[in-house]
Amino acid sequence: MLTHLVTISLLLFQEAPRSNLSQMVYSARNPDISKFLVVGAILFTIGVAGVLTRRNIIVIFMSIELILNAANLNFIAFSRYLQGTGNVNAVSGQIFAVFVIVVAAAEAAIGLGIVIALYRNKETIWVDEIDLLKW
Amino acid sequence: MILTGWEALFFWVFAIAAIFAGLLTVMARNAVHSALFLISSLVSVAALFVLARAEFIAGVQILVYVGGVMVLFLFVIMLVNVGAEERGRDEIFNKQRQVGASLLFCLILVAGLLYAVNKGSVGLQRQNPPKVEESGAALQGPEDATLAKSATGTSEATRDTERVAGSLYRYASLPFEIASVLLLVAIIGSVMLARTLKQEASADDVDPEVLQEELQEHPEVGKVEVAS
Repeated sequence: MLTHLVTISLLLFQEAPRSNLSQMVYSARNPDISKFLVVGAILFTIGVAGVLTRRNIIVIFMSIELILNAANLNFIAFSRYLQGTGNVNAVSGQIFAVFVIVVAAAEAAIGLGIVIALYRNKETIWVDEIDLLKW
Repeated sequence: MILTGWEALFFWVFAIAAIFAGLLTVMARNAVHSALFLISSLVSVAALFVLARAEFIAGVQILVYVGGVMVLFLFVIMLVNVGAEERGRDEIFNKQRQVGASLLFCLILVAGLLYAVNKGSVGLQRQNPPKVEESGAALQGPEDATLAKSATGTSEATRDTERVAGSLYRYASLPFEIASVLLLVAIIGSVMLARTLKQEASADDVDPEVLQEELQEHPEVGKVEVAS
């Protein structure tokens, strides 16, 4: 039992060559760019699920913010990755993220203005009751 | 880029916090709870930005998203809240079949994305073999040695924000100006969209008494009734 523990802990700390499991543990202990991308992909999918399944239009807007934020995470991760490779203009990913935030703020202002106008006229925020353009 | 030690631990903490807060944003019954969970998700992602050495973007995220956009969301929720929390589970989501189809789509989407990330990261590693020891002082140039240490003495100030600003104004000054015009249009547009009939009439210099008479004669002007 103790020897097993010692072997496993040695496996955790040894460098290459590694077996499959200890390689997974090593990459989890040292997350690189792919882990950032995985987190971004999961957040993006959660946002898509929110847009597709919720009825409350405000929660749909919040899910869109989640999607934009996941895209920002990818931009930042790649910017950091390019800094590591010594690329000259590696911060352009951060500039893209600034513009994404600007567009998200403008979109939220316009969208919430539309929500207020809609609520004033139709007194509902459920998207399945807002079916003016449906015939 | 490879995170090591405490950075790796904090990466996992904040990544899991961001994902769970995002899930709760989508699943919360009350829209106010949704907004609060979205705030915690945004803060966790800002912490991930800090771990990726993008301190300026993290600050902008906190100030603009959490301080501006989410407060706007909360105001609108409190303006239009219709007490959704008392209703049952099937009321906050769409119909059962629709939810099933979209969840299936999301499953396929996340599987494809994760497959692509897996395949792509292998290629990235082959192109630029990762260096573990690049963290800390090795990444910063020799000119950063002259920068002051922070008050706690644990970290050094970086030129990261300076680099972002230089790049922003050097290579992206036209998009920057276009973004300012976009924000102006958004401000004017949301004010135009959200104003009431009374405010509209006062902007058009209609006498309030005339407006009152008009409303009594034609009440459908005050509340735009939609033929359904």
